[in-house]
Amino acid sequence: MDTTTAPTETLGGSKTLVRGNALEKTYGSRLPLGRSTPVLTGADIEVHAGEIVGIVGENGSGKSTLMKILVGVLDHDAGTVQRHGTVGWCPQEPLLYDRLTVSETFRLFGAGYDMTREEIDAAKQRLADELDFEQYLDYRVDQLSGGNRQKVNLSVALMHDPDVLMLDEPYTGFDWETYLRFWDMAQDLANDGTAVVMISHLIEERSRLDRVFEVRDGLVHDVTDEETESELRSDPEGEHE
Amino acid sequence: MNRFVVGVRANLQTFVRTPLNVVLALVLPLVVIEGWGQAMAGLPSMPTVEGIPLDLGRLLGAIFGVAIITGLMGLVQMISAREADRRLVQTGYAPRTLLATRLATLAGVTIVVAGVNFGVLWLTIDVEAPLFVFAFLALAGVVYAFLGALVGAVLPRLFEGSLVVVFLAMMDVFLSGDSPLAADVPDFVQYFPLYHPKELLQSAAFDGTFAAGDLAFVGGYLLVLLVLVTAVFGATMRTAGGWSA
Repeated sequence: MDTTTAPTETLGGSKTLVRGNALEKTYGSRLPLGRSTPVLTGADIEVHAGEIVGIVGENGSGKSTLMKILVGVLDHDAGTVQRHGTVGWCPQEPLLYDRLTVSETFRLFGAGYDMTREEIDAAKQRLADELDFEQYLDYRVDQLSGGNRQKVNLSVALMHDPDVLMLDEPYTGFDWETYLRFWDMAQDLANDGTAVVMISHLIEERSRLDRVFEVRDGLVHDVTDEETESELRSDPEGEHE
Repeated sequence: MNRFVVGVRANLQTFVRTPLNVVLALVLPLVVIEGWGQAMAGLPSMPTVEGIPLDLGRLLGAIFGVAIITGLMGLVQMISAREADRRLVQTGYAPRTLLATRLATLAGVTIVVAGVNFGVLWLTIDVEAPLFVFAFLALAGVVYAFLGALVGAVLPRLFEGSLVVVFLAMMDVFLSGDSPLAADVPDFVQYFPLYHPKELLQSAAFDGTFAAGDLAFVGGYLLVLLVLVTAVFGATMRTAGGWSA
């Protein structure tokens, strides 16, 4: 297992910001007769600056595991991960402190990112305005609706303007307006050179993605120009094309 | 912004916004001190078990009350936000800084809890050296707060962890020190967390003195707990992250 913040390489004019090579991960049991579940068996992935990458796959295929390994919150058994630049991570379930207010949440995570008070306040105002949760800044996280909690969850990942944005189904609970605004933001970030990696289940989002990777059988397959297994099952006639 | 200061402030805000914490800290002392005192004093004297004077019972109740409240708070501090803590570490908080904010918060809350217990105790018994009594109650609380934090780091389940802390505190207060309930206890009880704090407390309360050896032992005990909880917390928060700017 190895993780480095390696120097970047240029590929097709854009920098490689995240690279995972031959990643392996098995979830084991600590009990003697427990079951071991291999999830990744040699996954390779590269993400470049300025692109929006989708990671798709069936339930339990290992999408979130792959993302957590790339982010660095989960150890892998074998393989290497190289990252360059700052990373913002939006987990699938909001990982926040329930009894803090939204403003206090920004302050705490902003301190983690080593931001100044002014930078934190500016990021808070900008994101609250863009994602429309300005009126909830003094609410405690456990008093927010699921959608608003998810907005804060996403904002924590975005507040320090990361070079790489890792999003695990970030729009769960968003209303349609917020969902569209989220995609505008993602596109703007990519235009500014941010690499956006997103776990997605929605076939409709394909047109918004520059590249699509499918996690299947423990490996990562580039399916940008083909249909994924689940798409083939749900649309055997290829009607959505 | 200073991560330590921001972290401690966030911990305190979380603490005071949890009503159960406040109720436990303010109400439990009265119940435990008087309840324990009366219950112990009510025990009949038997050939192997002497009855406990009311004042000693109240003193035992106070140290038990402090230990159990702070132990549970230490446990909850470590368990309640474990996943969010990992995210916070990924943003740049060093696990040691995060742990330091937790332990500093616990130490501060422990002083308040010890203060409330001391206040109740002072109203119910005559103590020879009030300042030392308060200090040794606080010391016992810090030991159990760190112990609770260690249990929470090793066993991150609220129910199981609570059982460990509660049973340990009960066994501790019954067997540790010169307890009339603990006839012919084995030697190893002197390594129980409350053994030496209880010696200190009894001496300060009833004689107005204390033994420096007991104090040194508690200091060493705290140091060992600190090393253990730092190692375990560091291991649980260890990730492959670390961003380059």
